[in-house]
Amino acid sequence: MVKPASTTTATGKDLGAVRAAQSESPGLFGVAGLSSVIRALLPFVVAILAWWAIWAVLDPPEIILVSPASVFGSFIDSIAEGALPTFIARSLARLGIGTLIAIGLGVPMGWLLGLDEDVAQAAEPIMRFFNAVSGIAWLPAMIIWFGFTETTIQAVIVYTMLFPVAFNAMIGVRTIPKRYRDACRTMGAGTLRIIRDVYMPGSFPSVMTGLRLGIGFGWRALIAGEFVVGTTAGGGLGFFIFDARTQGVIGKVMAGMIVLGVLWLLMDRLILRPIEETINVKWGAVSA
Amino acid sequence: MTVPTGGAAQAAPPTISVEGLSHSFTDPQTRKTVHALDDVNLEILPGDFVTVVGPSGCGKTTLLNILAGFIRPSAGKAFVNGRAIERPGADRGVVFQELAILPWRTVYRNIAHGLEIQGVAKPEIDERVNRMTSLVGLEGFEGHYPHQLSGGMRQRVAVARTWVSDPEIILMDEPFAAVDAMTRLTLQEELNDLTVRTGKTVFFITHSVEEAVFLGDRVMALSARPGRIKEEVHVPVPRAERSWERMSHDEALQDTVEHVLSLVRGEAVEPTGQDG
Ligand SMILES: Nc1ncnc2c1ncn2[C@@H]1O[C@H](COP(=O)(O)OP(=O)(O)OP(=O)(O)O)[C@@H](O)[C@H]1O
Ligand SMILES: [Mg+2]
Repeated sequence: MVKPASTTTATGKDLGAVRAAQSESPGLFGVAGLSSVIRALLPFVVAILAWWAIWAVLDPPEIILVSPASVFGSFIDSIAEGALPTFIARSLARLGIGTLIAIGLGVPMGWLLGLDEDVAQAAEPIMRFFNAVSGIAWLPAMIIWFGFTETTIQAVIVYTMLFPVAFNAMIGVRTIPKRYRDACRTMGAGTLRIIRDVYMPGSFPSVMTGLRLGIGFGWRALIAGEFVVGTTAGGGLGFFIFDARTQGVIGKVMAGMIVLGVLWLLMDRLILRPIEETINVKWGAVSA
Repeated sequence: MTVPTGGAAQAAPPTISVEGLSHSFTDPQTRKTVHALDDVNLEILPGDFVTVVGPSGCGKTTLLNILAGFIRPSAGKAFVNGRAIERPGADRGVVFQELAILPWRTVYRNIAHGLEIQGVAKPEIDERVNRMTSLVGLEGFEGHYPHQLSGGMRQRVAVARTWVSDPEIILMDEPFAAVDAMTRLTLQEELNDLTVRTGKTVFFITHSVEEAVFLGDRVMALSARPGRIKEEVHVPVPRAERSWERMSHDEALQDTVEHVLSLVRGEAVEPTGQDG
């Protein structure tokens, strides 16, 4: 009965349904009965209203803060110009390529390290070390090696994603109960078969967790990389934001930041989380 | 049954034989040693169903792991069909104490796994798995994942998975421990039927003396750690004639249970007093 409110726009009837749900389960702010989509959007509405109020009350100069409406105007303009869509596409493509390379290198690396308990133990500290030295910290070195180029940006993303992906693949293999391997051996399985039937599928949930983490870190590293290298490496969303700053247009800067956040939310909610949850349910990690 | 009648020359060679087997675990950090098994001798003939009882920690699982080929004993030898055991093999199916069915495989694919590994053709896998699922009462659950099953059903999957590959020997480690009492009775009768019909050689560990007597041709009572064979008790009624119905009023079976209980009880409880 609450469902329809989430799929259609709020007509009078739906609001009635929402109110009815609210009165059923009041909670502190009465949000418990709202559909999940509305509940998720509500804080954003509040934040925008607060921003609007601050802007209206303080009436700051245009170079410091502009109104939500003005930022929305900048957003529409940037889309109309074509710059924003091009840059978004470029950033997403970089992230996509980085993801593929990080999976291709990181997952086998993690699996190999995880296969042998001693190797895994020996590898763990250095993996944690490289995990901690974030991709952005490598940017100066990368610029020295590769210049202000696409290669530098790509290398930073791949580096940033590689370690969470490899590390979690390794942990995934290590934490598979030994009895699964033993059981397969009693059925006549050799090492290759065990890798295929036990280690690969068994580490999948962990690999997926690493991937989700890695893509999150990679996305941030990408934006930072584009701040610094984007000018000569063909733009990107990070470049769009940084360039708007150079022009002193706060509306465009904020529009870029919002796009950044919204894109991440969409990727995470629509792609990464559903995949991770499906795997966890199928693997029995959730409902067991 | 092929009961050897003649001299040693004509006797069927034991399927499993264990000679002077001892095993100690050494903790690599503390260098402390746990003496798990001490001078165990054992012969299991083809088609024998041997059950093992003994107090917790006396080395039952260790013995099974040696027979399965996971552990090399510190001293003594273990043979399968006259060959020293060196590694796990498909001739010895194992049902583990903690079930080892794969959570990401459906019931069907778990049961089919051993056959897949052996490279059996798809149609034959299909036929054998279907026969097996109906045998253990899992029809209709082929597409379920283990986490969607009850504990008893998971136990059945574990047994079916081992059984379907038709190994010569089956090693089972308390396979029914996690099942409710009612289901356990059914599973035990089903297992008895199955083994009587297939004539498999079985090594079966349990905590339950009644289960050991109900299922076994012989019950081996182990002492507290380090586990030694305290006594090997022959169960007087042929397996083909057993049922829980009969267990409840057959005096010979009752006496056997009492006898094995007294052996185990003497080990499990410190001599502070009588235990009910
Ligand atoms: N891998 C191991 N490393 C060190 N000690 C071990 C190892 N496996 C078993 N032990 C020790 O050996 C002894 C026998 O263990 P085992 O698992 O064989 O007992 P069990 O008879 O099967 O007990 P339960 O009935 O509780 O399953 C125990 O004291 C245990 O702590
Ligand atoms: Mg045990």
